Amino acid sequence: MRELTVIEAVREALAEEMARDERVVVLGEDVGKLGGVFRATEGLFDRFGAERVVDMPMAETVIAGVSVGLAMRGMRPVAEIQFADFIHAAMDHLVGEAAKIRWRTGGDWSCPMVLRTAYGGGFRGGPYHSQSVEAFYAHAPGLKVVAPSTPADAKGLLTAAIRDPDPVLVLEHKRTYRAIRGHVPEGDYVVPIGKAAIAREGRDATVLAWGMMLHESLAAAETLASEGVGVEVIDLRTLAPLDRETILASLAKTRRLCVVHEDTITMGLGAELCALAAEAGVLDVPPVRVAMPDVPGIPVDDNLEDAVLPNRATIRDALVRLVAREPSRAVRDAEARAYDPAIPQASSVIEVELPEEHTRLAVDALVEAARAFPRCNATFAWTGIVEHDDVVVDLDLGPPVPPSGRGTITLIDYGPSSSDLAIPFVRPGQTAAVRIGTVRDGRAYVACAVDHRAVDGADVGRFVAAFKTAVERSTPRHPELVEG
Amino acid sequence: MTLLTPSQRETAYRALSLARALDERMWRLARAGRAHFAVPCSGHEAIGVGYALAMRAGVDWLAPHYRDLAALLVLGMTPRDVMLCFFSRPSDPNAHGRQPYAHFGSRALHVLSQQGPQPNHCSHGVGCAWGSKLLRDGSVTVIAFGDGGAQKGEAHESMNVAAVHKLPCVFVVHRNGWTQSVAREDQYATETLVARAEGYGMPGIAVDGTDVDAMYAAASEAIERARRGDGPTLIDAACVRFMPNTSNDDDSRYRDRAELDELRVTRDPLVRARSLVDAGFADRVDAENATAAEEAAEWAEAQPLGDPSTVMDHAYA
Repeated sequence: MRELTVIEAVREALAEEMARDERVVVLGEDVGKLGGVFRATEGLFDRFGAERVVDMPMAETVIAGVSVGLAMRGMRPVAEIQFADFIHAAMDHLVGEAAKIRWRTGGDWSCPMVLRTAYGGGFRGGPYHSQSVEAFYAHAPGLKVVAPSTPADAKGLLTAAIRDPDPVLVLEHKRTYRAIRGHVPEGDYVVPIGKAAIAREGRDATVLAWGMMLHESLAAAETLASEGVGVEVIDLRTLAPLDRETILASLAKTRRLCVVHEDTITMGLGAELCALAAEAGVLDVPPVRVAMPDVPGIPVDDNLEDAVLPNRATIRDALVRLVAREPSRAVRDAEARAYDPAIPQASSVIEVELPEEHTRLAVDALVEAARAFPRCNATFAWTGIVEHDDVVVDLDLGPPVPPSGRGTITLIDYGPSSSDLAIPFVRPGQTAAVRIGTVRDGRAYVACAVDHRAVDGADVGRFVAAFKTAVERSTPRHPELVEG
Repeated sequence: MTLLTPSQRETAYRALSLARALDERMWRLARAGRAHFAVPCSGHEAIGVGYALAMRAGVDWLAPHYRDLAALLVLGMTPRDVMLCFFSRPSDPNAHGRQPYAHFGSRALHVLSQQGPQPNHCSHGVGCAWGSKLLRDGSVTVIAFGDGGAQKGEAHESMNVAAVHKLPCVFVVHRNGWTQSVAREDQYATETLVARAEGYGMPGIAVDGTDVDAMYAAASEAIERARRGDGPTLIDAACVRFMPNTSNDDDSRYRDRAELDELRVTRDPLVRARSLVDAGFADRVDAENATAAEEAAEWAEAQPLGDPSTVMDHAYA
């Protein structure tokens, strides 16, 4: 497999897109004969000429403004700002113009421009060559912001950005340019904007990171794996718009969030990511942010820079704290509602013929069985058992569809990737729970647990038998069973 | 020197007169609280009419000044379009109810979408001209802005880049001597701005922007130079802002009324242009335009406002 560094991948994307589309022009300070201060545009001047690879005056405002004009005119400008620290002179054109042009003209105009810039610290660059600027630009609706961390993404995301019909800011971490090497597909390769990647799977906590902090987070996760802690690391790749789906799916699994970024902590992207998780209600414990303290700039002094930038050790420490955090009282209360070890359970299992798609069928059968055995659709208290008039089936289909906790009886079904047989727990406030195992060759085990204080053991067996009868009455019989 | 032909003079007068009629109608409606915002152009009209007539319609591009109503009328914007923009209706072809009046723009008319912060469209115009060079389509971009805007780095950076690359564009400063309430002497230390052209390495033309004939001649010369591939020109077009900056401004706090009244006699481009056409023609055109402005305003005000469910439309493709 062919391996490239991040800077080589950037260069390859630029060259391939310039060759593919004549409208692509590259402009910026030193992008011509020098090939860019980081050599991202090396070779382009000789190959594509001075008309399409243009050295600009040291004037960031006009670099961005001319790109806006070129894009409105139908060209595909790819501008370079040498260091993200210098981008603020271009902000009016990025946030005030490029981000708004399509919207402010009701779609009559568009601004398909790309602006690339090198950000990030860790190389003794001091306060004007090390900043992370993503929070300023991810705050601007209409602008897309991508931050590749790997060579493959550097190529794929830059290619996607150049082909995107809207303005895209590409943030390249300058330390990844030469430090990170990896496989890069040859030829046409696009990584879709707006899709995060799971860089490492784990079940105990989720880290959201990008740029050099992705690699530091992966190193911390590796260390923790040897200590028995499974950390899921998500490479955000696109910072605006955020891939909410991937982020929330991971958090629904791990229930614990750590955001890592080089930018200063207050109003950094971590604040938005924590808010996203909090509003979705997917966290069991408060999140942690590993970020720069609110220093006005990154200091150049070795000791000072090392002290303020997050690294694998500080990330590891934060994760250890996160995993050790006790769930909040609200979470403990919710868990208490979901599970009470004081309930004495009786259980019973029966094999049932069942089609692959059976949720509706099973709910109907459970309602029928519960009406026949009202003790299984009740609430137990020492003062008396209340049998409910209505049967409200609370479906538990796993993380995407957790139980609401508001039914009178629970039906658990984790689908085809689950196990064949497991005895469910009865939820406090209910007297029965039914679990359907994975369907194999048209059959599945149905397990039922009841609160033994309310329901006799023999009745559990009759209850599941009633369920089986109700289900199979509606299930077409298996051909070989009919013949047999 | 290229002067207007007799039929162009009539076209010019129609546009000057219509711009004034629309301007006055919008001012009264805004002051009466019927719309949010008026941006008068009276005093500036001949500058835009001059370059709009010198441009090749449907070929050349305009990055307009926000007082460029008269230029837009020459390029094909209708009174109804203007009033839809004034009333910020979703059917406004300029800004679809998303921007206030005077933020012009039309892909069909080759007018770049205009923003709020001045003069950010200078570099957009330079980018547009750069596109013409790359596409080799022979088009020229006229970039118009005020003498207030000319004091910003944006204008400087744009003129510098255009001159370095000999881009096919023309910079026109509508020099009315005021930046809202701040007078010329508090904005820049020279009498005019034309000397700046030499500093960028481009020709400069100083012209009386209230004389539509002279303005047309200056614009024609600059546009043809750009089209030949000889690069940009800076035109310093002197004019008078007869009205307050916008309907939110009170110019009685900073302007001398008697001086303004005197200038209305000597420097009003509409009054001056009357001498170029037959008096009966001018009277007839003025009457037609007053009616057209009134009809367009009544019609546009009756058009529906936006549907709130569309507010996120076009944030992205």
